Amino acid sequence: MQELLGRLTALDPAASQSLRVIACFDELIAGDVGVHGLLSAAAALSGRPVGLIRGRVVTRIDPRGEPLESSLPPAHVHRVFDDVAVWIEDAADDTTDLDAIILERLALALLIRLDTKRTSTVPPRDMSVLLDRSTPGIDRREVAARLGLAANGRFRVVAAPLFATWTHHPRGPEDVVATPFGPVHAAVVAIDATPVASPLGIGSIAAIDDIDRSFRTAMIALRLHGGSSDGPSRADDLGGLAEMLADLPDDRREDGDQAAVELVTLHKWGASTIDALVRAGSLREAARIAGVHHSTMTDRTEIITATLGFDPMSGIGRTRLGLAFLRWRLRTSRVLEFTPAS
Amino acid sequence: MSDARSVFDPELRGALAVVGGVFPPTITPELIGFMRQSYASAPRAQLLAGRAIDIVDFVIPGPAGEMDASMISPTDAQRDSGAVYLLHSGGMMFGDRFSGLDDALDWVLDLGIKVVTIEYRLAPEHPHPAPFDDCYVGLVWMVEHAGALGILPGRIVVGGASAGGGLAAAVTLAARDRKGPAIRGQLLDYPMLDDRPTPSTGMFDGIGVWDRVSNETGWAALLGDAAEVSPYAAPARAKDLGGLPPAFIDVGAAEIFRDESVDYARRIWAAGGEAELHVWPGAFHACDIFAPHAGVSRRMIAARREWLRRMLVD
Repeated sequence: MQELLGRLTALDPAASQSLRVIACFDELIAGDVGVHGLLSAAAALSGRPVGLIRGRVVTRIDPRGEPLESSLPPAHVHRVFDDVAVWIEDAADDTTDLDAIILERLALALLIRLDTKRTSTVPPRDMSVLLDRSTPGIDRREVAARLGLAANGRFRVVAAPLFATWTHHPRGPEDVVATPFGPVHAAVVAIDATPVASPLGIGSIAAIDDIDRSFRTAMIALRLHGGSSDGPSRADDLGGLAEMLADLPDDRREDGDQAAVELVTLHKWGASTIDALVRAGSLREAARIAGVHHSTMTDRTEIITATLGFDPMSGIGRTRLGLAFLRWRLRTSRVLEFTPAS
Repeated sequence: MSDARSVFDPELRGALAVVGGVFPPTITPELIGFMRQSYASAPRAQLLAGRAIDIVDFVIPGPAGEMDASMISPTDAQRDSGAVYLLHSGGMMFGDRFSGLDDALDWVLDLGIKVVTIEYRLAPEHPHPAPFDDCYVGLVWMVEHAGALGILPGRIVVGGASAGGGLAAAVTLAARDRKGPAIRGQLLDYPMLDDRPTPSTGMFDGIGVWDRVSNETGWAALLGDAAEVSPYAAPARAKDLGGLPPAFIDVGAAEIFRDESVDYARRIWAAGGEAELHVWPGAFHACDIFAPHAGVSRRMIAARREWLRRMLVD
């Protein structure tokens, strides 16, 4: 994996290796992976053998997960707790930043795994607490202060896949945060900051007490991102709609309008035609946006109207189609899967 | 909503946080260029990592001009030995003859065998039958020159992973049909065998390594606009799987090739043949290449090596 991390850096020099290391250990901790697996992952990530001492017993694992003969620990080890410590072998003159992060994450994972006497669980990281909807206000304000966010300040949360390509990295606290869609790179930035990553979702402005809502709208914006070539996707462009979509439960059943949109999208022209209709003020304008002849747009709109069972170009029908289409786009979004460095 | 990635072994879920940036789950035609860059093999010195291994390069006659090939052997190999004719992975569209070969370098060291690998032409520039033809011609060349190469002609396994596994199965079928070279065994690692959907092809969209869309991209590139699909393109289409050499088939339980791999083994058994089938729990496609340190990958690597030892060394 160390070679893969190196390749990622070669493909995208701004790639955030440390976030990937953190995300990797987050998954190992969540999956309750054992000591051998944790040491193997650390060795694979660093590309060098990793050692563990518990009392007098030394375990050493190579980057391919194979046990090595026991030997004495080096002079400098990273203490986990009591008489438990870990190290990465054959380090260059200076331990690299990445090694330090690997050791720190390994130690945390081992602490959770090995310290059976420990009565309290390891607290979740500040960023997760800050952005979690269920965090009580007083706790949210406390972690915000710890993260250096002004109590009376207003911020935006931005969200990107782990594999996004950053061209302008925001200043501000950032971390990997678990979501139902997999781990996400989240950052809290000033409201006038101009973060640029591909893809990126930029959340609405919120005070500390509502900062979780900004994160949810950032996730909506991210999932609606059009693809790697588009600029950041902004919750502001959807206003109250982004907030409403952010409050829908992820497992909400498909309704009739959404099912009808799904049927329309089975046509090759379906999604692009609905997109044009939603953006346009008239059929003529929709035809221009979609780049088709007016009569073609009229024919397609008739099919869409018949499928929906209402007129998508008048009154509440416009809202119904727009909302159902946004929800269809959210449900079929693949933006979190991957974006290659261009 | 439950996380779709929970189908994967927890160690492998950790690895996906790194792998996803190099090998996206969903490969569309637009990504072929990116994949050729990101899946290219590392420089040779890095591949060898100081191991006592020699690589000799050849230029051999192919069906459409010269082909690059290499033989990997233990440094100062004294005796003739068994060999694996290894066809590389990469969805028929990317990779080179050293991609994903790390495990094979260890076979050379640990088993004292040789590995021959060729640079077959890639789709979509070269659709079927170009990759298959290259691979078959390469095998015939290797067997004809076995003596000079220090290879025991009766001890040749044809193998490959993913697209290479599909090509290995096809070459093995053709050797039977054309009464070609004798093959000791076929090593099919999570092979790409069937262009038609199976239940497992649609189960892992957007997660892991190599999903339904990637597979459709690969098959579309390989088959082009061919009206009929040859069993040498998609070996699962072969009517008869009888009279084949022993097969070793391994596949992840959490990957799209699961069902076609299991079915290939089942059909070999039905035809009276020998197949050793391993379905590894929680394993994503090619987890042994991307995360060889993980427990399930190590078990996979060990089982494969043991079979090779029986086929080529015992």
